[in-house]
Amino acid sequence: MPILRLRGTTAVARRLVLAGFASLALLGSLGQTATAQTRFVFANESDFDTMDPHVAFDVGRIAVRLNVYDGLMRWQSNPAKLEPWIAESYAISKDGLTYTFKLRKGVKFHDGSEVKAADFVYSLERILALGKGAASLFKTMIDPGKAKAVDDTTVEFTLTKPSAIFLAIVPEIHVVNTTLVKKNEVNNDWGAAWMSKSSAGSGAYKLTQFDPAIGFVAARNPDHFKGWGPKFIDEIEFRGVKDTNTRVLGLMKGDFNGLGGYLQADQLKRIEESGKAKVHEAESMRVMMMQFNTTRAPLNDPDVRRALNQAFDYDGFNKNILGGQVERNPTPLPNTIWGNPKDIKGYAFDIEKGKALLAKASAKIDRPLEIHFLTGFGQSEQAAQLFQNGLQKMGIQSKVIGTPWPTIVERFSKPETTPDISIYWISTYYADPHNWIGEMFHSSGAGTFKNAHHYKNPKVDALLDKAVEATDQAVRAKYYEEAVRIVVDDAPGLWIYNTKWYGPYSKNLAGVVFCPIGNGLEMRTAYYE
Amino acid sequence: MKSVPTTLRQLMRDRSAALGFFLVVLVVVAAILAPWISPHPEAVWDMNPANRLKPPSRTWLFGTDRMGADIFSRVLFGARITLMIALVAVGASLLIGVPIGLWAGWSEWWIGEALMRVSDVFLAVPQIVLAIAIAQTLGPSIENVILALSVTYWPWFARLVYAEVRALKRETFIEAAIALGVPPRRIVLQHVLPNVASPIIVRASIGMGFTILTAASLGFLGLGAPPPAPEWGRMISESREFLPETWWYALAPGVAIFIVVMGFNLLGDGLRDVLDPRLRRSHDR
Repeated sequence: MPILRLRGTTAVARRLVLAGFASLALLGSLGQTATAQTRFVFANESDFDTMDPHVAFDVGRIAVRLNVYDGLMRWQSNPAKLEPWIAESYAISKDGLTYTFKLRKGVKFHDGSEVKAADFVYSLERILALGKGAASLFKTMIDPGKAKAVDDTTVEFTLTKPSAIFLAIVPEIHVVNTTLVKKNEVNNDWGAAWMSKSSAGSGAYKLTQFDPAIGFVAARNPDHFKGWGPKFIDEIEFRGVKDTNTRVLGLMKGDFNGLGGYLQADQLKRIEESGKAKVHEAESMRVMMMQFNTTRAPLNDPDVRRALNQAFDYDGFNKNILGGQVERNPTPLPNTIWGNPKDIKGYAFDIEKGKALLAKASAKIDRPLEIHFLTGFGQSEQAAQLFQNGLQKMGIQSKVIGTPWPTIVERFSKPETTPDISIYWISTYYADPHNWIGEMFHSSGAGTFKNAHHYKNPKVDALLDKAVEATDQAVRAKYYEEAVRIVVDDAPGLWIYNTKWYGPYSKNLAGVVFCPIGNGLEMRTAYYE
Repeated sequence: MKSVPTTLRQLMRDRSAALGFFLVVLVVVAAILAPWISPHPEAVWDMNPANRLKPPSRTWLFGTDRMGADIFSRVLFGARITLMIALVAVGASLLIGVPIGLWAGWSEWWIGEALMRVSDVFLAVPQIVLAIAIAQTLGPSIENVILALSVTYWPWFARLVYAEVRALKRETFIEAAIALGVPPRRIVLQHVLPNVASPIIVRASIGMGFTILTAASLGFLGLGAPPPAPEWGRMISESREFLPETWWYALAPGVAIFIVVMGFNLLGDGLRDVLDPRLRRSHDR
């Protein structure tokens, strides 16, 4: 079975594929398989720059974490429910500080060694030490050295203060094979260099090939502790395909079996009408927004930011360009989750009002603003162009630039390298308002892709801290509502819409279980009819 | 070298060359008069999503694009960008390539030879590949496209001039000039250069078409003029998401590229027939 079929691609893409094919031939063919095996090829909008489960906490690279790794708990089904995974059961102490997880026995890593409590301790230490991905969030609630292996099957975490969301992010402690990682350490780097292109997991699929320029291939792990259904997929491949048209045509021709779920109405319609593929639809939460870099003039001035909020044609984008598949979301928090003030109106498209705000703003706009969209995501590009147009009407010059996701995430880490304006989405990483309002505006998250505003506001910090420490949802909701109001007024970003999930897959693919966390990329249950 | 009116007269006698000349003039006129011809000059930049992807009609001659801008107006204004890029890039290549070729061909000094080997390297790699590498490194902008095209196109002129100069040097009239003690500078500028002018003009005209095609390819790959500039290659690239339903989206800029490249090629071929009898191939009557 040829893995790179050349039909249905553009001439340029074909040439690129050929070039890639030549280099592949040298590397040993990617995904060479026995004939009877079933394969699933997924075209991802962005590239996979790393295979390390502890450095990324996003949807763009979630396929590695969901398929190659396991955690103590996992978010499953829709609406998302937190289910014990490698953990059998868990207990929380009365003071809300100590979490004790009992592990299943007989869970094995890909090399056959057993998953032990100490591996979880090491994994959390590793996350905190590397300081990427979910680390900024963990750091607000647990210190290094506070995870303990009581015995081989009991792991205990002691928090610095009670947290309403610790359990929700426990799935991010993807367990790695301590012995294997340590063996590949170089200069105490926690195996970072090695782990970026290899794997040390226990997940349902085992990494077999990885090339940052192409993607990764993983083969079924028949010994996975969850067991398998009667039908399954033997080999999965996730490929970075940045061109929307190549992805859509590839799915319709059968070269790809699944695509990332960020397509717009025109494309979804085209896929449905082709009869070759279908679009799965599910309730979900994903907010499209712009994040302004609030550390630099002129965007450090709230009046300028408020003016910018009046420059986007919300209805034109949501209704005309996206054909009404989305709903306007005036705040950073999805309309459909608790903690959002119901009466809040947000900003409207109003050039004159924006001009008036600019006139009274103290900062003057003396340079073209840089609007970065995500390469490979047509929607974000069109939003950037539309915004540029609105800004021009307001008398503001701007440049529209496309940047790949892994690159832009790296740029967010420092205020100096963070673009003025970046357009993307915040999906559901755990079903709690903190996933949006909390991480996007707490100063502890500054420099992550969630808080690329580098927003720091002590008042908001205090509210968010209280919201996490409280356990009663009604109390928490109040704190979040207040934080939302302050943030919307302060306008460190611009919020466009909240959407359902539209996942395009091959017609005969069944068993895809959608969960808002993971966007239907966990392939363990999928099979061909 | 023949006088301009004579050349033009001879050119007009050749039907395909006349067509090429006419197409080039058409595009130049369209580019210059764009703001007056365009029915919606404001809709080149102004986006109105409500008018998105409208088929051609009396209001929208060539339909509208994904942002609701008028494609006819964008194609007209795109001609300005396209011609500007090609003119500056070919001009810069001339300015770099011709002196290098003259000097290397005349002096036969080892540095000149070395420069020719450098140009060989450039010629060995397809221009588009080099241009992609340069434009990608520098980031997408009109200036960088021009730079990428100039840097990769000058070797064509250098090689051409070099070869001509080497041949001319052995001609009797040049040897006579040398024997009479005319300073080399004067020989090169007054006797050699006019004699290589014809092939240069032919190459420049064909090069215009070639450069426009390469610039459009860069635009198609997202390395050209950034939005909202109405760049033809980029327009075609955008349209792929909506093909085949919105056929007009790709058609208009595609035809525009076809016309201008065709025009320059026909004109170049015609000029060659008129100016360079040695290379006359097709239209002997």
